[in-house]
Amino acid sequence: MSTALGVLARFGAMIGLLLVNGVVLIYMLRKVLGRLHLRIGPNRVGPWGILQTINDVIKLLTKEDLRPDSADAWLFNIAPFLIFVPSFMAYIPLVFGPTLAVTSLDTGLLLAFALTSLVPLGVLMAGWSSNSKWSLLGGMRAAGLQIAYEVPLLLSALGPVMMAGSLDPVKIVAAQSGVWLGFIPRWFVLPQLIAFVVYAISSQAETQQTPFDMSEAESELITGFANEYGGMRFSFMYLAEFSNMFVVSAIGTMLFFGGWQLPWLATPAWLAPLVFMAKTYTGIFVMMWARGSLPRFRVDQMLSFCWKVLIPVSLAWVVLWACIQRLWPVIAVAVSR
Amino acid sequence: MWGSGILNGMRITMRNMLRGPITVMYPEQKLVIPERARWAVAQLYDADGNPKCTACRICENECPDHVLSVVVSPIEGGGKHIDDYVYEVGACMMCGLCVEACPYDAIEMSHEYELATRDPHDLVRVLLHDVDAASPRRVKGGDDA
Amino acid sequence: MTDEEHMGWQITSEGTQRPGPLPRGLRRIPRGVDELATEHLVLNMGPQHPSTHGVLHVLVELDGEEVIAAEASLGYLHRGIEKLAESRRYHQVPTLLDRADYLSGLHTETAWALTVEKLAGIEVPRKASWLRSLLMELNRYASHLVWIGTFGLDAGAMAPFLYIMRDREMILDVLEAITGSRMMFNYVRPGGVVADIPAGIDAKIREWLSHASGWLDENDALLGGNEIFRLRMNGTGVIDRTTALAFGMTGGCLRASGVDYDLRRDVPYCAYPELEFEVPTGQRGDNWDRYVVRVGEMRQCLRLIRQLLDGMPEGEFSSKRSRALKVPAGESYAAVESPRGELGIHLVSDGGLTPYRMRLRSPAYFNLAVVDEALAGGLIADAIVTLGSLDIVLGEIDR
Repeated sequence: MSTALGVLARFGAMIGLLLVNGVVLIYMLRKVLGRLHLRIGPNRVGPWGILQTINDVIKLLTKEDLRPDSADAWLFNIAPFLIFVPSFMAYIPLVFGPTLAVTSLDTGLLLAFALTSLVPLGVLMAGWSSNSKWSLLGGMRAAGLQIAYEVPLLLSALGPVMMAGSLDPVKIVAAQSGVWLGFIPRWFVLPQLIAFVVYAISSQAETQQTPFDMSEAESELITGFANEYGGMRFSFMYLAEFSNMFVVSAIGTMLFFGGWQLPWLATPAWLAPLVFMAKTYTGIFVMMWARGSLPRFRVDQMLSFCWKVLIPVSLAWVVLWACIQRLWPVIAVAVSR
Repeated sequence: MWGSGILNGMRITMRNMLRGPITVMYPEQKLVIPERARWAVAQLYDADGNPKCTACRICENECPDHVLSVVVSPIEGGGKHIDDYVYEVGACMMCGLCVEACPYDAIEMSHEYELATRDPHDLVRVLLHDVDAASPRRVKGGDDA
Repeated sequence: MTDEEHMGWQITSEGTQRPGPLPRGLRRIPRGVDELATEHLVLNMGPQHPSTHGVLHVLVELDGEEVIAAEASLGYLHRGIEKLAESRRYHQVPTLLDRADYLSGLHTETAWALTVEKLAGIEVPRKASWLRSLLMELNRYASHLVWIGTFGLDAGAMAPFLYIMRDREMILDVLEAITGSRMMFNYVRPGGVVADIPAGIDAKIREWLSHASGWLDENDALLGGNEIFRLRMNGTGVIDRTTALAFGMTGGCLRASGVDYDLRRDVPYCAYPELEFEVPTGQRGDNWDRYVVRVGEMRQCLRLIRQLLDGMPEGEFSSKRSRALKVPAGESYAAVESPRGELGIHLVSDGGLTPYRMRLRSPAYFNLAVVDEALAGGLIADAIVTLGSLDIVLGEIDR
């Protein structure tokens, strides 16, 4: 296939996946939260309410594009894009199947994390440029929190990277094929349980879900940094939030749960994307489950939890695992003797 | 262990998720409201279809918000004629004092609660129009007037 | 070069200053900003806000996230209830009082009935007192349920807010079956109550009771058992004993600050002299203590409701009431323990058909007055949670 057409096709596939994800995830959130709270969630628009998000998209498209008079116009206009575009680009390194990926990069994981770390900049920009004290609080909190929680996110990903020996997601997933001891799937979550727990908590914080949703604490700041946004601009940021959830969950699947592979059986190429999506959506379900059940931390408690608990734990784990991995041949030989 | 409370909370919400919703799909399903529930005021009629109202206007005096007004004119040869029994359902707070006070059991708090309307003229109802009032010979027991 | 020239200002021939040409790429900076100037942020919380529990307006002065000072600005829900009462007859006033503290209407109605009966010397049959107590305890439980749900929502937990609706629907159905309405009861009048409990309601209340304790344990586990919740509540919003007494706080807030005072036990009324219950108290007066005290009160409510159902006497539900009640001239005051504290009504009568003056002593008003002391020094997240823990209802604060 010629390069230009290939690029366009991949681009189109990414956009398609993003939009489908957005629609499905927003519906899934509302249904999951509803069921957790003993109610039904949307069920009027379409069978079981599946067309509800289409309704919402149409509504948001037809809303007036407001901008407060005293808001900083240029920053106000580009902030949603700075939140949306990195989340969209983070789809690039994801691996959906043995040969199904947008592109194969040697440093794919690094690219994904680098792109998601641009999002807090957009949040801060949105909060600042709205020229409203409530939005400002939300933006400032994001600047403190989302940036802080990227450190344990990255550090906890180092464990699987060390086990696989590469930053390329294709190789990381390939390193998780097969079994140990004949029956345990070689998924990295088992030896890297501590890293997985740190990753799970940090990803919950990165995507601003309760218990870490300070920058859009609904009962305090209404919509936090996005207070002054309406219509399509707001929906960009909203879509980016769900897209972010998908990306973080997908990376977690690739790092810890074997990506597109089934546990003991060989995965045919047509089944691989479905398995990948199923695992990712299970991860997202757990994030939504925590969101609907838990109260939120206070800002300084979140920060001290990150700096005083998560970062030391993840650092210690990285050092420990590096030692174990380096010394494993020696230990194995000593044990077998 | 720190975190056991969090996990217990998540277990509780999952258990409730599996139990199913407790909501009712209104308007396809409607709950039965109790006998004493107070909603819009309605007139009562006797076996022949005549209103029991004697136009004594005690309900009009009892209403704290002056929501009822009975327009009465005398009939030649004795008796009263009700020109209009006007009830501002949009202003009524459904306290039931009018029904409590009526000595002739002529009005009741009905169970009609679907009162929302798009037309402001529906907020004022004329419950009786151009009828003869019943004669006040029957007296209901109960509170003093 | 002088400071002015360095910053790009030029001195004109008249001696005034005007901005000079700037080097390319530099934005103009105001004069005199060499070090970073900071100022406190004054924020309007409310009157439209998801967390101020009604139309409450609190002005907070923030230094970053820390609250320096706070001031409550009231009156957004003022409807003139006390003035309207001057033109209502004594049996019509409960229709107004239901709307004051709309979450515990029966308590306000009972306070009115008690004060009128005190002044007019009306005897109330024993059954009426027991009916009043039963409905007041049901109302107290329903009000505390709303508090626990909204408190969880302030802290970020969405689940308890919907779980309380299970209990509340059953309680409100029972109240509707007895009184005729889910919220504006109009049931307690001077002399007694309007009607007896209809048949079958006793069984319905017992059915609810069989679930209530388990559901309360669920809500308590979701909130009180949650480490995140405890982290937020421990040590925040501290109101010490002296401050609480100085501001005239009553109810759960006062008991959490260490003062053991409950009107049901210390100045008993209705059926409470014959009932057994405990009064939970706290020591530190922080948000956690207020939470624990109120959950303890809820459990005592269940105990009281069971006693009231088991011991409900036979008899008349009201003494003879007149629609043209004339209360002799004079003053009286009677108070009940509402879910928020001491709810009292001071009645001044001039011997006519309508009261001369009715004053409602609203417990939430005094509980809210402490907001400056309680919020200062904490973060704004604590401010939200502290306001929630005070359990205020704007209807009775503003009347």
